[in-house]
Amino acid sequence: MLEVNADLKKKFEETASAMRLRLEKRPSPSSLRSIIAEKGLGNFVMCERLGQKELSGITQKGGIVGVDGSTNSAGGPFPYLFTLQQALAKLCISGENDLLVTDAFSPLITEDVANEEEYQEFVKHNLAQLEAKAALLALEKFKPAVILLDGSLVRYKIEAGALWNKLKEEAISQKVLLAGVVEGISTGIISQCLKDALDMDGFPASDWEILFGLLQVGEALEIMPGLFKEGFRTLFMRSSLDPKPIGIDLLEEQQEAIGLVPNLVFTLTPKESRGIPLWLDIIDKSVRISDAVMEGLLHTYLGEDYVEFIKPKREKREM
Amino acid sequence: MANMQVVGLTTPQEVYVASRDRKFRINELLVIEDPYQGNLIGEVVESNSYNRFIPLSIGNGIHDADVIESLKHLGYSINEDEINIAKVKLISEANFPVVTGCKARLPIFDEVRSHLLKGAREDGLLIGEIKNTEETAETMEEDLRGLCEMFSNGKVYKTRNVPFFLDLRSFQQYPHIGVFGGSGSGKSFGLRVIMEEVMKHRFPALILDPHYEMEFSESQENGLEKRDFKDVFKKFQIGEDIGVEFLNLSRGDLMALLSAVSPLTEAMSSAVQELHLRGDTYLSFSNRLELLGEALEMGRSRIEQALKQDMEPMEQEKYIKMRQLFEKYQNTPLPSVQGIIWRLRRLYSSGLFSHDIKPVKETMMQGKLAVIQGPIWLLQVFSTYLLSNIYHQRRDYKDGELKGQPSGEYFPPFIIATDEAHNFAPKGKDTATKGIITEIAQEGRKYGVFLILATQRPTLLDETVTAQLNTKIIFRTVRASDIGTISEETDIKVEEARRLPYLPSGDAFVSSPLFGRTVAIRVRFPHTRSPHTQNPLDEIKFYRETSEDNLFDAIKPHLPIYAANFAKAVEEINAAAGANYEVRTLKAALDELVAKGKLKKQASPLGDIFIEP
Repeated sequence: MLEVNADLKKKFEETASAMRLRLEKRPSPSSLRSIIAEKGLGNFVMCERLGQKELSGITQKGGIVGVDGSTNSAGGPFPYLFTLQQALAKLCISGENDLLVTDAFSPLITEDVANEEEYQEFVKHNLAQLEAKAALLALEKFKPAVILLDGSLVRYKIEAGALWNKLKEEAISQKVLLAGVVEGISTGIISQCLKDALDMDGFPASDWEILFGLLQVGEALEIMPGLFKEGFRTLFMRSSLDPKPIGIDLLEEQQEAIGLVPNLVFTLTPKESRGIPLWLDIIDKSVRISDAVMEGLLHTYLGEDYVEFIKPKREKREM
Repeated sequence: MANMQVVGLTTPQEVYVASRDRKFRINELLVIEDPYQGNLIGEVVESNSYNRFIPLSIGNGIHDADVIESLKHLGYSINEDEINIAKVKLISEANFPVVTGCKARLPIFDEVRSHLLKGAREDGLLIGEIKNTEETAETMEEDLRGLCEMFSNGKVYKTRNVPFFLDLRSFQQYPHIGVFGGSGSGKSFGLRVIMEEVMKHRFPALILDPHYEMEFSESQENGLEKRDFKDVFKKFQIGEDIGVEFLNLSRGDLMALLSAVSPLTEAMSSAVQELHLRGDTYLSFSNRLELLGEALEMGRSRIEQALKQDMEPMEQEKYIKMRQLFEKYQNTPLPSVQGIIWRLRRLYSSGLFSHDIKPVKETMMQGKLAVIQGPIWLLQVFSTYLLSNIYHQRRDYKDGELKGQPSGEYFPPFIIATDEAHNFAPKGKDTATKGIITEIAQEGRKYGVFLILATQRPTLLDETVTAQLNTKIIFRTVRASDIGTISEETDIKVEEARRLPYLPSGDAFVSSPLFGRTVAIRVRFPHTRSPHTQNPLDEIKFYRETSEDNLFDAIKPHLPIYAANFAKAVEEINAAAGANYEVRTLKAALDELVAKGKLKKQASPLGDIFIEP
């Protein structure tokens, strides 16, 4: 075993206890619940699993489409990079074709990219656009009842403006429900609203931090309209045994579905899982670009010699 | 046609083939279309299915059946995302590794004909079907289809697979067959099917049948096609129908017979050497032994004394004879003589010496199957004599023919089959039969004499014999030591050896140099059935019911029966039905009939009355 340096150990211990202190300051779930209710931040509602009849109803209306994307970069140091992206929209009803939108590029051939940060930004935006495009194609082709997108809807609005607007308009006019399922909640809206009621200093608490363990399995917190993300309705939900909640975004124009969508998400989420509907997990797995594929493509199309040429030294590390 | 593709790392011997829409079955043949090496034929040795959305670990919740069910209602079945993967061994090694990504497909029959069919159909023993060849069989010529009946899940149907033949002509090259398998594995069925086929070809054969089950006159009740073997087989009971002619026994044969009853001591062997004379009949030999025994017991002086007394001439003759024998063999120990007498009597009382083997030879000459039945010890005794006799007759004839000077009577080539072969040629032990079986195993090929040896314990079979069994038909085997023996003695693959304990009854692997690989087969449904197929439970039930009916018929004329008058009723019933009832047992039997509702019991001041219901 490696001996851990005594000084390192001490410093680590200090940091850890600071973190514990912060975590221990979390108010109890019951008091948090009453604070949230008092402040009129939102409503706690219990979701129900949909029955066979309701599910068949959804299928008859066109079924569910899930959308997810994936990025993988390989090669050498910036700008000797290759980036491969794909977005998949998959209809639940068997026998229908999946819709796959792909893109591949490199900083060397991308205009308006001056440095690595800009490139990262570009990659992010491009992925959101690909996903929006896939969703739009699926909407036109399948006319589904519901489209579940992986991640917050706000992200599409910011990163894929034009396409998003089109998608939104189409969805509203065709009565297709759009919903974003957020795995990693990064917002801090609740603590902001409850600032004076909460005794937590330093960093503002994240929403997931506050909601951790607060909700029952199947329970959702519908945030009041207007408090949060302009143009959207948001709710937090504990969809499985995992105490860390997920987020769901809906269009404000479709807020009448604020009952149905969480029920659907709840129905499609395995109890023991981390809380994401199985359908999105399946799509995630189908769309993911593995390192092996990247490597295979590089070797085939760039050639062994150039792969060797751009490979960073770090990757040759043997220990 | 299903889409199949070579995936992953390949070698010149082995590849993986994947398919989305078709599951692979073990032992099926595939054509791999290598763009550089042309079409290669491979056999599936392992089949796996994999669903990338249902990982093995249970912890991550994907196993929530409700969710999967809900998805089904939304139109998605998770099973559709399955990938099937087969490990395929190439039948003959390629020159270099197969190209990954090349297409694979099911073969049409002509592409794999040489791997599935050997020899001409007319010369083949139709043993069953080659497993998992339905699709290929569809492209087979019409006259090879549906040749035999199969039995599974309680149903009889025509085979849809490629038929499996053992080529009789190839016996000249690969003469001997081993049939291995535990009890209930289908080994006896397999042996039955082989014998039926041998009979169909009218190949002379004999089978040693210690289980009294090789009966070919009763057709299977649910067979589609009835077939009769009544005229082509004959059953012989040792001691009843056949035996050995004492007069023709050589000294060696006699010693073998005696030692088969129980091993001879050295003193006994030398006593037989001395006492058995050329031209002895059973009577002359056994008389000599009995008299000598008596003489040795009496001793010289008492014999002399007896001779001095006045007696009938017959009696006197006996004592004179005793004296002669005593003079001649006085050094023979009495216990040896008694031991020989005991063995000889046992042989005699089995009826062995009252018959000969002519009927067996005749049956075989006519191209029929001779079934030799008897308890195992007697079968050993007798077959030692029988097998040496017919084998040597065949050998002498053939040797004479080769030398260009035919000598002896013609005897045809023939097959010898037996179950429980490890009793006849055991490893590490000497038995009377072992010598002749080993001899045939080693040189029977030259003379057209072939062995079919079935056993559930291949490990206990003599190694020299096992090594000579060219073709092996292996049914379910559970014992690790037997699986070890089988793996050593055959070209069976590791994957197949692992499957041996799980083979369904009637499935077998055939390992034969003719095929150059192990073929997975299912034995056909026999035309005939063993006489032992009645379940003991049914037998008891049947016996009980008939005995009840008999009793009821017997008492019916005597009804009503009064308890006060039981003794008389017992007498009458015993007299009428030839039964053996006592008052107590009759009463119990009547109560039984009442319980079954066949009689009625009525109480009366004079005790119970049994009347018709």
